[in-house]
Amino acid sequence: MKTIVVERLRRTFGTFVAVDDVSFEVEQGEIFGFLGANGAGKTTTIRMIIGALPPTSGDATVAGFSVAREPREVKRRVGYVSQRFSLYPDLTVRQNLSFFGGAYGVWGKALDDRIEQVVSEVDLQGRLDELTGELPGGIRQRVALGAALLHAPPIVLLDEPTAGVDPRSRRRFWDLIRTLAAAGTTVLVTTHHLDEAEHCARVGLMVEGRLVALDTPAGLARTWVPGRMFRVEGTAAHRAIPSLRARREVVEVEPFGATLHVRTGEETDLDEVRSWLDPDAGVARVMQIRPSLEDVFLAVAGRGDP
Amino acid sequence: MIPALEIDALVRRFGATDALRGVSVTVAKGELFGLVGPDGAGKTTAIRCCAGLMDPDGGAVRVFGEDPRTEKARERLGLMPQRYALYGDLSVDENLRFFGDLFDVPPDAYAQRRARLLDLTRLAPFTDRRAEHLSGGMYKKLALACALLHSPDLLLLDEPTNGVDPVSRRELWTLLGELVAGGTAVLVSTPYMDEAERCHRVAVLDHGRILAVGDPSEIARGADSFESAFLRIVEAEA
Amino acid sequence: MSRFTRRVLAMARKEVLHVRRDPRMTWLAIGMPVLLVLIFGFGVRFDLDRLPVAWVDLDGTRGSDALREELFVSGEIVLAEVCPEVECAERALRANRAIAAFVVPAGAEEDRTRGNPVTLQLLVDGSDGTVANAVLANAEALAAGAAMASAPQAGSWQQAAGSRSPRSLIATVIRYNPRGESAMFLLPGTIAYVLALVSVLLTALAIAREWERGSMEQLFSTTVGGLEIVLGKLLPYLLLGMFDVLLVLSVGASVFALPFRGSLPLVGVASILFLVGMLGQGLLISIVTRSQMLATQLGAFSAVLPSLLLSGFLFPVENLPWPLYWLSMIVPARFHVGLLRGALLKGSGWSDHWLDLLGLAAYATLTVVASAATFRRRVA
Repeated sequence: MKTIVVERLRRTFGTFVAVDDVSFEVEQGEIFGFLGANGAGKTTTIRMIIGALPPTSGDATVAGFSVAREPREVKRRVGYVSQRFSLYPDLTVRQNLSFFGGAYGVWGKALDDRIEQVVSEVDLQGRLDELTGELPGGIRQRVALGAALLHAPPIVLLDEPTAGVDPRSRRRFWDLIRTLAAAGTTVLVTTHHLDEAEHCARVGLMVEGRLVALDTPAGLARTWVPGRMFRVEGTAAHRAIPSLRARREVVEVEPFGATLHVRTGEETDLDEVRSWLDPDAGVARVMQIRPSLEDVFLAVAGRGDP
Repeated sequence: MIPALEIDALVRRFGATDALRGVSVTVAKGELFGLVGPDGAGKTTAIRCCAGLMDPDGGAVRVFGEDPRTEKARERLGLMPQRYALYGDLSVDENLRFFGDLFDVPPDAYAQRRARLLDLTRLAPFTDRRAEHLSGGMYKKLALACALLHSPDLLLLDEPTNGVDPVSRRELWTLLGELVAGGTAVLVSTPYMDEAERCHRVAVLDHGRILAVGDPSEIARGADSFESAFLRIVEAEA
Repeated sequence: MSRFTRRVLAMARKEVLHVRRDPRMTWLAIGMPVLLVLIFGFGVRFDLDRLPVAWVDLDGTRGSDALREELFVSGEIVLAEVCPEVECAERALRANRAIAAFVVPAGAEEDRTRGNPVTLQLLVDGSDGTVANAVLANAEALAAGAAMASAPQAGSWQQAAGSRSPRSLIATVIRYNPRGESAMFLLPGTIAYVLALVSVLLTALAIAREWERGSMEQLFSTTVGGLEIVLGKLLPYLLLGMFDVLLVLSVGASVFALPFRGSLPLVGVASILFLVGMLGQGLLISIVTRSQMLATQLGAFSAVLPSLLLSGFLFPVENLPWPLYWLSMIVPARFHVGLLRGALLKGSGWSDHWLDLLGLAAYATLTVVASAATFRRRVA
């Protein structure tokens, strides 16, 4: 069943077109990733989907309700965790949960029950009376997620949820998200951590207001970065760039910090690449790697604007 | 050969907290060295000690053999801090000019470097735009440009790609790669595990201590990503 | 050029750029001094001019009429109303229709023709010290103009020094504040001024804080509405403000012996309306500016200046030039200062201050509605 159906969504601010004719669908229980540069229209699209911003034209049906005509109904069925950790640091965890529960219209005994359930769902046992501002980032994010789940929404939207969170907590957070999705909640995520986007079932990529790519991570890699990819490491790897670029089997050579990413056709193998490189020229290691979503992103967004 | 940067058993405390508990790292000329670790690991503290902004409570830091708090060391050092690197209400050009003056860059050298840096960072069409109106990636690139005006031999960067879009992130790292190929020593701190692979060598920092040093591929050997390797190392310490 | 000089000049040049680019600095350095000089220059007038004075003629002869014409000929005082008896003049004083009243005693004309000294009583509203002082200071001039002498009435606190032997005498009586203590007439104004400043600042920070922190965005994604947020934020500060009112009145009463001669419910209702108006003003500023620092500055400025200069706190509103006088009509502190003086010192009642209450209510409604309306538009 499709919980989110976006049809030709469009939003302008004066003459500026922030979101241009975006359409896609999300299945129930799917983890859907949203990628794009800052200003590409991700945040505006999300705001429209959760009913916080009316579209200029087009519509989206979220959990059965139209964002253009019934935004309040949509809001009641979406849990939103915004980017900027917007819990109140001078309140305790319990107080924050109570406040947001109230803001979503959950009161009294129902609220108490939900708080208990949510605390176990996101693993906040024993922390209810701690001051939110004094919690480490990873735990605070779980509180934010908990607050968004209090009204048991069928859809949860996470806007850059793991910014500034340490790797361990990030892993736990994604485990939580996967459990949520498995239980039937649809999850929309936007992130700059392209390696996290690999956790998503499908990923949509926005460039300048348009949805230019939509597929599974593997599918995106196959479409946009076909062939094979190799990493060349060494103190003087950069010196090999001109000779590599000269080879016709090589599609592209991208400097990757101090290393190189070399893209070739399907037929080239590791030994062949090794043979091209002069070992004395300070090349320490060559290995084959899988193209990442960052490579996809760069291929899609191109040399873009600064 | 004097290393560009030598951190020797560095200790730094803040009240009751030990931010750095005896960290030792050496960065050579032309080396791109990554300081990788989660929030609170001590990365910013380490970089600030290297830049001479903080005094060590124990151990020492040497920049080309000198104390980083001296003017001699500072002349060869460039810093790109995590925040507040630039003046938001000043334009790109005004920021560049200010830092040029501050570092006493001679006028013809300034003109040359300014042109080259604007070209490298692709900021040439935006010289009159106020820094606060630049996108995140552009802002960071400008901060980098300002740190490079005096052609430092050692560059210190504190989480330069935080919150930056993927395209600008790639560009920043490409710039760093080119700098290093030209002989500059670079120390970069980052919370992103996947950026470790872009360095010549990395040190894994957690809770003020270095848990592993070496080639990123060596450290990640056997794990499916550097991040998995990091978690494995941290678990082993616990 | 040495490195040192170069760096100093670089810092200076940068600072100039900062100042030029920050409109607040320009305002502070240029706009505000000019504005303040103009306002103070025009607005602050301690001299007697066009002040309304009532006339009570208990004698009812043509002589009294002649005397009246002589006294009012200069135009410094203006005839507010003619009263048949003293009680009417008192009512005029309480309702602020007059700031003083001449009382011609019965049998005055007769005494005059017989060559006996005549004592003309001048009742002065002591609840406004500036006015009272001005009237007293000019009583001598008025008297001289009417070939009389001026002296305080026997038994009142001012003992005249060097009074001539007059044919007639103007005896001044200071009503409502017989000992002429500054605290008496300053405190009601201070209460209004302090409440204005505090309430605007409290709420000015309230919403700007949420904008800056980013939590506003989170609120918008929930089902809570704009008006709900506005009222929800206003209520606790209203209660806090009411508590402040009680606190300040208590301190006034216990430390300065501030009297409370009027109706407590009147002061209560007026204070609530005044607070709502000022809290609403702070909220409006908060919604519009979105930055705590700007909200604080704008809040302080918009609360302090009008409450200080245009409210009748330090000098009478009637003395302001026309444009500023009309401007004072939309300053809630103006209504509240008059009402507090009346209720606390003069014992005036609801009927004396219906216009003030109306003004306060109008302002309160205006700011709350404006806040809710602006807020909704800011959502998108």
